[in-house]
Amino acid sequence: MIPARLLAAVATVFAVVTAGCGFGPGDSSEGEATIRVTRDYGSQSMVEASVSDPTESDTVIRGLDSEADITTRYGGGFVQSIEGLAGGIEGGRSFDWFFYVNGIESPIGAADVPLHGGDRIWWDYHDWSDVMRVPAVVGSWPEPLAQLSAGEDRVPVRVECADRESTCDDVLEQLATEGVAAGVKDFGRAQQTGPEAMRVLVGTWARLRADGAAAQMERGPAQSGVFASFKHTGSGWSLTVLGPDAEPAARVGRHAGLIAAVREGEEPPTVLIAGTDEAGVESAVEVLEPAELRDRYALAVGPDGAVPAPLVEGGSP
Amino acid sequence: MRSPLAYRRPSGPLADVGALAATAYFGSFALIAATFANPMVLAGAAGGIVVAGMAAGAGRALAVAVRYGLALGVVFVAVNAIASQRGETILLRLGEVPVLGRIDVSAEAICEGAILAGRVLIVMMACAVLSATVDPDRLLRLLRPVARRSALTASLITRLVPLAARDYARLSEAVALRGPAAAPVGRPAMVRRLVAGSLDRAVDVAATLELRGYARGAPGRSGARPPGRHSASFAAAGLAICAIALLAALRGVGGTEVYPGVRIDAGAATLALAVAIPLLAAAPLLLARPARREARA
Repeated sequence: MIPARLLAAVATVFAVVTAGCGFGPGDSSEGEATIRVTRDYGSQSMVEASVSDPTESDTVIRGLDSEADITTRYGGGFVQSIEGLAGGIEGGRSFDWFFYVNGIESPIGAADVPLHGGDRIWWDYHDWSDVMRVPAVVGSWPEPLAQLSAGEDRVPVRVECADRESTCDDVLEQLATEGVAAGVKDFGRAQQTGPEAMRVLVGTWARLRADGAAAQMERGPAQSGVFASFKHTGSGWSLTVLGPDAEPAARVGRHAGLIAAVREGEEPPTVLIAGTDEAGVESAVEVLEPAELRDRYALAVGPDGAVPAPLVEGGSP
Repeated sequence: MRSPLAYRRPSGPLADVGALAATAYFGSFALIAATFANPMVLAGAAGGIVVAGMAAGAGRALAVAVRYGLALGVVFVAVNAIASQRGETILLRLGEVPVLGRIDVSAEAICEGAILAGRVLIVMMACAVLSATVDPDRLLRLLRPVARRSALTASLITRLVPLAARDYARLSEAVALRGPAAAPVGRPAMVRRLVAGSLDRAVDVAATLELRGYARGAPGRSGARPPGRHSASFAAAGLAICAIALLAALRGVGGTEVYPGVRIDAGAATLALAVAIPLLAAAPLLLARPARREARA
């Protein structure tokens, strides 16, 4: 006779193993998942598609597969080429496909990332010889802040004001237009006491550089994933946009602003709306909208207009 | 008992075919399997091998290849269904599996596994018929100018492995004949004796080879047999199959895409290719028969 304990153990193991099992594609999640494919840090668009009401079995790779011609490697979990453009070494530099789910670089293969309604998937083919990781980007704005597909797992959004309150009010207004409900805290104080949140730091670089996440920028793009650097000159700060090789590509100069996303370890991403001075912060806030930020890893704004960061030679301005 | 894959002088025209021509002939089917994923074309290649194999009296070799190929095919299909996470027709969701991650089984992944299995099966069938119908010595003689040591090693293996199998059968027989009162002999003991015997024999073979002067280099071509009477027709058939396959591949005939959905080219050109392969394979067999009757008359 089979002991009751053994039966219970078998039933438990069976329940655990078969959790999430079923026939067919499974239930749908409402909404539209968008898939964008670009190359060279978003400078050239290749594919634009959407998947309506993705099912339980839809993954990032299945979504891409239905819209583009792809090849895979490592048992089909990783994308090797899209529309014939394959990763590899070219002229001594390494190129590959990377993808971002709602503005956050995926740490796992595309076959293991489920697709939900509202997701914004961005595939980009770029040179990663000098900067291996870009943990978060603003090119899927209002993601990563909107978290349209997160449901109840949504992380609160907190705007931290380092300088003028009126600028922060403009940021809140812009976020509200995109459906992002955010709270406000003073810069510095909330950082130590607040719960886990996605932070939007607004202020001059002179103040923001005191923040741990923002300070990664001072260690270069290989550390922060932001292809821009603030430099202190004799009379203030100036902003320089870097190229994919992490070398200076364009000097935006003074009265310049920057919108970028950084991430410290596994913490939620932090969006920086920074400027060399208050005028620079204001000019950054002015371009805080999806059309301006689309397909940008980060965006610098100067008196002569917006400059994508990194600045790719021959890419769209 | 002889292995069904062991060489036995074939019946029919294949008996008079040189090793090079036979290799070109059977190699053309392997080339088809390597080039095409289209099930119709693969079926054509399988048909060609069956025609050739049956005509040569290698039915048992074919049966063994099919049996092992199908068993391997089941593994291919199962592994591909789990490993490939592509395909739009989801049949089964297995959820998150520890270590393997998320697994969904799609009809397309199963189809890809089946196509892979089919390609492997064709190569196995071609090799089985080649092994059963072409004298391994003549086959290895082809290899000798390119890789002398490898050819010698392969020649020795083709002889010593069947010998070891026979030794094992005799040892088992001897053990069984000791009577019911004798202590049982386990498999490790049998293997130990077999290995010891094989090593003894290997030393004898090495000494014999040395005495015969193998270290001095390859012998002259005085012993080389002339190519068989039907070599030209079989070589031509093999080359024709290769040529039409490559031409068809270059022109995009027989295209097959499995992902995201299965799309198999079943157009007239693909059908023509699928039919042409077994016909070309059968051509040297059909053309050879009248010549034989004339010879008898």
